Amino acid sequence: MTNPGRRLDARLHLLDRQILDVDGRMVASVDDVEIQRRADGTFAVTALLVGPGVLGPRMGGVTGRTMTAVWERLAHKDRTEPGRIDMSEVADIGSAITLSVRRERLSVAGFETWVRERVIEKIPGAFHEPQE
Amino acid sequence: MKKLFAVALGILTAIGGFVDIGDLVTNAQVGSRFGMSLAWVVVVGVLGICVFAEMSGRVAAVSGRATFDLIRERLGPRLGLANLLASMTVTLLTFVAEIGGIALALALATSVYEFLWVPFTALAVWLVLWRAKFSLMENVFGLLGLALVVFAVALWQLGPDWGDLWHQAGTVAKPGSEDWSTYAYYGVALFGAAMTPYEVFFFSSGGVEEHWSSRSIATMRSNVFIGFPLGGLLSLSIAGCAAVTLLPAGISVDTLGQVGLPVALALGKIGLAIALLGFFAATFGAACETGLSLGYSIAQYFGWQWGKYVRPREASRFHVVILISTVLAVAVLLTTIDPVLVTEFSVVFSAVALPLTYFPILVVANDPDYMGEHTNGRLANFLGSVYLVVVLVASIAALPLMIWTKMGQ
Repeated sequence: MTNPGRRLDARLHLLDRQILDVDGRMVASVDDVEIQRRADGTFAVTALLVGPGVLGPRMGGVTGRTMTAVWERLAHKDRTEPGRIDMSEVADIGSAITLSVRRERLSVAGFETWVRERVIEKIPGAFHEPQE
Repeated sequence: MKKLFAVALGILTAIGGFVDIGDLVTNAQVGSRFGMSLAWVVVVGVLGICVFAEMSGRVAAVSGRATFDLIRERLGPRLGLANLLASMTVTLLTFVAEIGGIALALALATSVYEFLWVPFTALAVWLVLWRAKFSLMENVFGLLGLALVVFAVALWQLGPDWGDLWHQAGTVAKPGSEDWSTYAYYGVALFGAAMTPYEVFFFSSGGVEEHWSSRSIATMRSNVFIGFPLGGLLSLSIAGCAAVTLLPAGISVDTLGQVGLPVALALGKIGLAIALLGFFAATFGAACETGLSLGYSIAQYFGWQWGKYVRPREASRFHVVILISTVLAVAVLLTTIDPVLVTEFSVVFSAVALPLTYFPILVVANDPDYMGEHTNGRLANFLGSVYLVVVLVASIAALPLMIWTKMGQ
């Protein structure tokens, strides 16, 4: 992180915040965070977690369970892990969280890729800039 | 000079883009039944949309975050999701009404059955959302929407007793044949039509689409504080035309054609043609705005890439939501439901959903962490708080009034 001296409230500054990649493209919202205990006994946020697989459990209740179930059913069979973005890839935390990598390098875009390949790219014009 | 042109263009498109099918139908209905006695609601509604559009626009300019993004952050994922479902339902209803409105306008112009037009209008809307540039879409339909100025011209040509209109607008009174409950019902509907939630979703997301920064705030404010009130004047002149011609004749407004009737009386065929162009532009522009708003709100909740500033393949889920919404809208309309009835429902449910949108905006506009020196001042907070109360009252009263008055019968 670029700003080691700044105190951050994980709930206020991280959770539900928009994540942008290095080019300013939108990646996901922070659905949960991964917290690990360090050797000295303190806790540190080590990763941002994204996707319905973590949002469901966090929400809880019928809504949360439904969301988790849908995710488990639809996500790739080999993917039991939720989307994870390591904190080492976070460049800045402002009104959005900016990463230091391009979003193509992250493995968090399963649904987007599926929709892109199966639906959107089949429609003429998908590759074009919007026209004047 | 170029900057002045940009400001003027922004104001003109704000005027032309202000009116949608909800405003057209509700204002004409109210004018034909209550004269100008509910004009004060339009004034209150327009000031309200100015206050909150300015706030959401300022948040978008300073933080680069659009409204729904913030709704989830401030309300949390659970309440945010409930809000998302409610807002999207209302916006989808409005989207259906707008597409139906385009079909009605085309049916009036061509005498071709309106439901035959539905698939083609929906396809045209979708094509614009798929291919056209954001600024092109906004400018073309905003400027064409200025054709609705014909209602102001018609009102002037009709040569009404201005003193009487002022008197109707200035006193809390109603025509003797109407109940106070229907008066209140139409008041709430008019308020819902003026403050429709999609307007702020669209306005703030549009700010992000057009890469606003803190320096854009002055331009944004001139659009809101000059453009919207002038757009509100168009709403009032639609009501005024109906009040002068339809009310004395005892004609109530059930179709889009009746909305344009006073213009035909005052200005003949040419006037009617211009009014139809205005109907078409206003509904088409609003259909684009509501269609985009559906994509904006869900994408902002989940953090998906959205926007027309990227290629469609870069924002696949956003475009798939728009595509599905368009298909749904066609399906609903092809049940041959009356688009005017859909419009009446959409403005009432807009009124119900108002606090869901406006409360989080007020909260975030007060957050110095986001807004820095552009945090809400006292005036914005005072007006925002007063309006929150008004909006809450309208929201609570809307459904009981709808049931009690049997939708204003």
